[in-house]
Parts: sequence; C-alpha cells; structure tokens
Amino acid sequence: MSARKKSQKPKVAFFDFTGCEGCQLNKLNLENDLLGILELIDLVEFREAMDDKAEEYDIAFIEGSITTPSCVERIYDIRRRTKILVALGQCAVSGGINAMKNNYPLAQVQEEVYGKDKYLFPSMPAMPVRAFVQVDYEVRGCPMSMPEFLHVLKSLVLGRKPEIKDYAVCVECKLKENECVLEKGMFCLGPITRAGCDAICPSNGQYCTGCRGLVSNMNKNGAIEMLKQHGFSVEEAIKRMAMFNTNELVKEANWGNR
Amino acid sequence: MNRQAKDISEMKCCFFDQNTTKQFIEFLMSKAKVIAPHRKGEKSFSFQETHNPEEVVLNYNRTIQPIKKFFMPPRETLLEFELNGKPKVKKPEIKIEERIFLGIHSYDMKAIRLLDFSFDRDKPEANYFLRRQKSVFIGIAYEPDEYHFAQDLGIDVYDTTGFSLFMVPAEKGFLIFEVDETGHRYLQEFGKGLPLDAELQYERPEPTKKLKMHYNRLPQIFSHVYDSPVWKKVAERCLGCGTCNLVCSTCYCFDVFDEVNLNIKEGTRERTWDSCMLNPFAQVAGGENFRPTLDSRTRHRLYRKFKYLTDYSGELHCIGCGRCSYFCPAKISLVEIINELIEDYNRQQQHAAVTVS
Amino acid sequence: MENVAREIKDLYTPVIATISLVEQLTLSEKRFWIKLPRNQKLNHHPGQFVEVSIFGFGEAPISISSSPTRAPGFELTVRRTGRLTEKMHQLGVGSQIGIRGPFGNGFDVQRFKGKDMLFIAGGIGLAPLKSLIEYTLDKRHDFNRLIILYGAKNPSEILYPQEINEWTYRDDVEMHITVDRPDAQWKGNVGVITTLIPPLELDLENTIATVVGPPVMYKFVLMALKAKRLPDVNIYMSLERRMKCGVGKCGHCQINDSYVCQEGPVYPYTRIKELKEAI
Repeated sequence: MSARKKSQKPKVAFFDFTGCEGCQLNKLNLENDLLGILELIDLVEFREAMDDKAEEYDIAFIEGSITTPSCVERIYDIRRRTKILVALGQCAVSGGINAMKNNYPLAQVQEEVYGKDKYLFPSMPAMPVRAFVQVDYEVRGCPMSMPEFLHVLKSLVLGRKPEIKDYAVCVECKLKENECVLEKGMFCLGPITRAGCDAICPSNGQYCTGCRGLVSNMNKNGAIEMLKQHGFSVEEAIKRMAMFNTNELVKEANWGNR
Repeated sequence: MNRQAKDISEMKCCFFDQNTTKQFIEFLMSKAKVIAPHRKGEKSFSFQETHNPEEVVLNYNRTIQPIKKFFMPPRETLLEFELNGKPKVKKPEIKIEERIFLGIHSYDMKAIRLLDFSFDRDKPEANYFLRRQKSVFIGIAYEPDEYHFAQDLGIDVYDTTGFSLFMVPAEKGFLIFEVDETGHRYLQEFGKGLPLDAELQYERPEPTKKLKMHYNRLPQIFSHVYDSPVWKKVAERCLGCGTCNLVCSTCYCFDVFDEVNLNIKEGTRERTWDSCMLNPFAQVAGGENFRPTLDSRTRHRLYRKFKYLTDYSGELHCIGCGRCSYFCPAKISLVEIINELIEDYNRQQQHAAVTVS
Repeated sequence: MENVAREIKDLYTPVIATISLVEQLTLSEKRFWIKLPRNQKLNHHPGQFVEVSIFGFGEAPISISSSPTRAPGFELTVRRTGRLTEKMHQLGVGSQIGIRGPFGNGFDVQRFKGKDMLFIAGGIGLAPLKSLIEYTLDKRHDFNRLIILYGAKNPSEILYPQEINEWTYRDDVEMHITVDRPDAQWKGNVGVITTLIPPLELDLENTIATVVGPPVMYKFVLMALKAKRLPDVNIYMSLERRMKCGVGKCGHCQINDSYVCQEGPVYPYTRIKELKEAI
C-alpha cells in the first residue's frame, strides 16, 4: 500500500538560479507545514545537483533569475525534463532585484563586481525564466508569498490549475479591513500591484512597494493621477517598483511622459 | 421589521451621562455579545466585538467595513468535503447568537434592510438570515462629514427605523430614546436612566444638499444616462481596484472557490466578497469577458445602486455612507459622478426642448 | 424572521450523483449521463442548467443536453475549458459528482405547441438545444415542422454525429448542417451558419426560432432572421455568462438588471432588446 502510494506522489524538484535564497528560507519557515509537504510529494531535487542521474520531474520549481550563459543551458535542460514548470519568487518571475543591473552597461557592472577577474565570470542581463522557456505558473513576490506557494503546490498535486489572482492588493486589504495606508498619508502602490500576498505589508503597517508587479490591464493614466492626488511623484513610484520589476517596467517605459 | 418608526419627538426619552453610558454598555454585554465601533489603526474605525466599554468609540465618522460583515463574512466556508472515495459533503453549522449592535448610524441600518431584500429575493439565503436573526440594533445620531450624503438620499440622521433604542449625543452624555418594545425592556431592566429635567433639545443638521436633484428622481435620471460620456470620464481616473465595492454597505456579490488541505484528503468550498469593478468579474472559462472595460464596469456598479435593484425593490440601493468615495485611492466621488450625470441629463432635456421648438 | 430563517432551504449543498455513461464526442467535448440518488428525476425543462461540483476543483454551470422526457437521469455535454471541466474529462463511469439545480428559465414549451420549430445552433450551442429537440421529437404530435440548422467549425467538431444522423434520416425533421472549414471528405454545406437561413421557406407567423451559440453568433443570426422578416416575438435565445451561485446572489451572471441564472439563460428576443449588455 505504502509503496504504491509512494509511486503515486508527484516527483518534485526545486532549482536555484540567481537570487538571495530568501524564497528558499521562506519555505523552511513553514515549519508545521513542511512535514505535510514532504508527505505530499516525492522530493527529487533540492539545490544544484544536476547530474546525469537526474530524472524526469512532474513539477519543477525555479527560483532566481537567469544571468549567465550556463544558467540558460540549465533552464533549457530543466524544461525538457519537467511536465510543469513554476517560477517561484520575483527573481524567477520578472528578473527581480538582480535586474536592476540591467539599467547599467554590462561591462561596467562586471568591472564593479569582479574587478580584474571579470573575464572569469561571464554575465548577461538578468532575465526572467519565461524569457527563455515556457513557464506554466508563477508565484510572485519578494520573497514569494507562502500561502500562494502552498496553494499552487496543493493544486498541482491534486491535478488542477491553481487560481492566480489578477487584481490589486487593495482587495486583500479591504477583505482584512486593514486601515488604508494612503488614508494615513503614507505612500502605497497597493492599488496597482498584483494581489496574492494577502496584503502582508499593509497588514503590518508598511506601505506596498509593488514587489509583485503591476496588475494586468492597469489604467496607467489613472495610476499617475492617483499618485499625484496623494502628493507622490511618479518617478518615486517607478523607482520603488523597479527595485523588483525592472524588466516589467521597461515595457511601461513611457510612464509619466505625457 | 418594515414598520416605519415614529419621529423621536414622540418617543419616551431619558438621559445617560458618560458614566451611565459605560454602565449601560456593560449591562448590554451581560445580555448578549455587543458589537460597536472601535478604533482601527490611527485614523480609522471598525465594528468589533466589545470587550471593554472604554474602547467603544461612539463619535465616529464611518467604519471601514459595514455591518454586513457580521451577516455575510468577508470569507465564509460554504461546505466541508472529503475527497477520498465517495465524496462526503457537510455544511458547517452556523452559530445563531444574540447580538446587540450599538452605535449604528441610520444609513447603515437602512443598508441592512436593503440587504434583507437582496438576500430574500428569488431564493432566500439561509446563511445570511441565520446570522441576521436575533440582532438588536441601537442607533446613534451622527454629524455628517463632507463624504456623507445619506440625507440627500432621504435617510434622516434621526431615522430610527429598525432600531430598538436611539442615542443622541447631548452635553456631557446622551439622550436615549425608546424606539420599540425591546428597547423599552432594556431600559426598564437597566433602570439607571436619568429623567430629563429640561425641555428636550436637539439640533437637526441642515440638509446637506450635495446632490443637484431630489433623490426620488434619480432612477429616472438613470433611465437616460446609459450612454453618457460621464462613464468614460470616470474610467480615466479609475484604477479598477475594487475598493468601492468591498467597502460598500449594500454590495453582496461574491466569488466561490475550493481549497484543499495539505493532506489533499479534505477541503472546503469558500466564498469571499467580490467586486464587479475587477477585470475578471464577468470573464468565463472560455476567455470571453462580458464587461471588459472600466467604464462599463463603473456604469454597472452605479446602475446596481440606482436602477437595477431599485426597479424591483422601489428603493435606492445606495445609502449615502460615503465609504466608496472616502476610501477610493483615486478619490473618485460618487456624489460628483451623480451630479455630472444629472447635468448630462439636463443638457439632454434642453437639447430635446430646443429640437422640438 | 426568527421562524423563517431555520426553514430556509440551503442553497449551496449539492446532492451526490453518479456518472453512468461517458462518451468522447470530439477532441475537446465529452458527454456524461448522470444519475441522481435513488434514480430520482431531475425534473428540468429543456434549456435549464445545473451546477456541477467536483470537490477540490470547484463548481461550474453546465446546461442539460437531454430532454426531461428521457428521465430518469440526464445528460451533460462538457467542453474542456476550465478547472472543473478539465477534471470532469478525467472521470469515468461510477465517478461521483455534486449536482445543484436545475436552475434558470428554460424554453417555454407550452407556448411552442403547434408551431414550426426552427433550431439554430452554433458549436457547443447544440447541447442545450438538443434537450429541446429531443423534447419535440418525443412529443412529435405537439409540434409542426422541425427545422434544425447546425454550424460547426469543421467536420471533426460536429457534436452529436449519431443523433444528427438519426435526425437527417427522419422524414419529419429538416436537418441542415454546415462547417466553416471542410476537410477532404466533407460533401455538405460550407460556410457560417447564417448561410443556411436565406434559403428556408418559413410560415413566419407560426415559426419559433431558438438560437444558441457562441457570443459572436447572435448578432449575425438575428440579422439573417430579420431579413427573413421573422417577427421578434417568435425568437428565443439562450445566453452564456460566468456563474458561481446559480441562485441569483453572486452577481457574476448579471446582464444589466437581469440575473441570467434566474431570468435566463433562455430569453425571448423582445426581452434581450431591453438588455444592452446582452449581445
């Protein structure tokens, strides 16, 4: 019975690319749920190990952005071996904080980080996983949202599509009856940032810094108007959100130039 | 429940000083669970269960969520189920409890009467009515701020319909009016109300006159402004964040989804408040979105308040609490939208008159 | 209110029903025969729908594709498009699902008695209409002419080949079928469904048209029917919307002031004209 059950468990692997490993740590913070998760899945890879004995996976979770030529090779390889590929955390989803370097010439970045050894470390602009391979699902956030990760994992194990939210953080604040951060006179990007984090920052008295990226179909003019109304500059807003979403905001490059 | 209460000038009345008011709250707490406005964060208010009379704030402008949350919680489990083998389904029991809602403004009370209509219509919903029954409401007069426009919608600050007792702030305390039998019983039992030693005096606030037309005519306006340019104008500023619906005291749309436990053996069917301003609200599995634009969604939101339900209930389903405008991140004002629609309507009428002559 | 609330029937708890037959119809469509506990009848009208639950996967509205005259048991035709329908396609005979309903307003069959019936279906729109077609066939003497127009994208997406075959060979049914994109074997009509309408000879006063199809279809079919001068009062349509509760509460299906799950999904065209968001 148990043997049969074991074989039914989906083979799950976690792969780490360029990131701070905050998302990994976050998973270990699950504590009580951690054992439950291990019951649920057959964990075949955790961390780098990509040797020849590595097999095929049902679900591959990818953390970190793609920033070196060897990363590109690895991500293609993983995609070939897995049925479902999930990008975990903002680095994997949009390039994340790493992508801030994309605003500077690559040579200058390499020089500053590695100095004379820069030729030993080939580098490229930090890109999201989906720039190279098909991504089936995304868990956004920096660090990624744990409730959302659990939802995605449970859904995939059950064999259904996860429900990925595509509306503003405001919804989650209002459902929790949080005091509105804007009402307190603080800066907040909640009205244009994609929900799914359960409004964790506003719930703890902080403003939303937009780490999960923009809602789709955002009303750009409305967003600019909103920031002005509250006395915040568009530049400030872009700067804060760009910290996690440089690549996504490149698409919105004309923000504020109207 | 629908009886129209008489004017408070005809009601029996007594006086509570601050201390007696606190004792009265304690007395109420001994009778049932007391729900009253409390502070929430730095500047906001919220209806919460009272554990300490000192924490009740009777002088408040508006709470973030309306009282609706006690009858239709923001998130609620509709079903519990088991996945293994034959599916087993259980409906979680809804606890029926006596609750006293203290310090309720007249418009919030009106909102509950409107929700009663909405949840009773077509097919009455047990979940709402099980929680709704055994509720006693104690009203309080309020001073309208710049966002309130309940008076413009015909809801008087002193409207006592639906309340058992009604409080009017007075110097160093409150005047307490007996509205119904339950209220009378409470005061009798409490027995500490001071008789009035002077002529009853309270000020009726000036009508606010924020709307440019009498509320009786609003449904008629809405018969003519479906294609108004106002909708697009509002949509230019709207972020579609859903805040207006989610703080609305008469909205009741919801979403339903299944969530499974970590063991993948049991799960629940959950419902949460939803908002017709959100992009995916009217989108079907095939991908078609039947209300894809912000202007069509804004129009739908307002038509639900002033036309669609009104045609069936005969009442406006906006109560002028001002929550949607007060909490809107883009500072879109419902009053302004309505006034612009009125202007648009007037222009149409003038144009029609000119064309005829 | 105290006495009332306890007696209100719960709206959201489904009954557990069993799948007793599964048939793959096309690449993305299957039909399921569903049996209620103790072989109870669903007691539906043609055009109504049920809310199907697969626990852990959610709930979705699905129109009933069999006639009430073929009860007990009923048929659901399911296209694989979403969370629930994808799972449903994995279920086999004996699997259990939750059912709530029937919900909504179906076709007013009493009003159709003695009339010529013109059925116009596009794609999976044939599913709810099949319920009505079967009903009229089972009570054949109650109706006059039966004309079925069916349009599919290509021959491999024709939904009920067996039934269509049967209808084609019946003398008392006029079956016309067209495909947008023919394959090498296709010998029939080619073109959109509206091309089938002009050649029809109709007794305008006594013909009832019932129309079900994808959202884009309605406008064009209406134009074609109007060109034929079919009176508006003789046209009925069934509309699709997002639905969660099925009982007129959740708000998702609303078209202007109308809850599709209560007043619809079948509407007389005269009503649809008042609903600006409808088509």
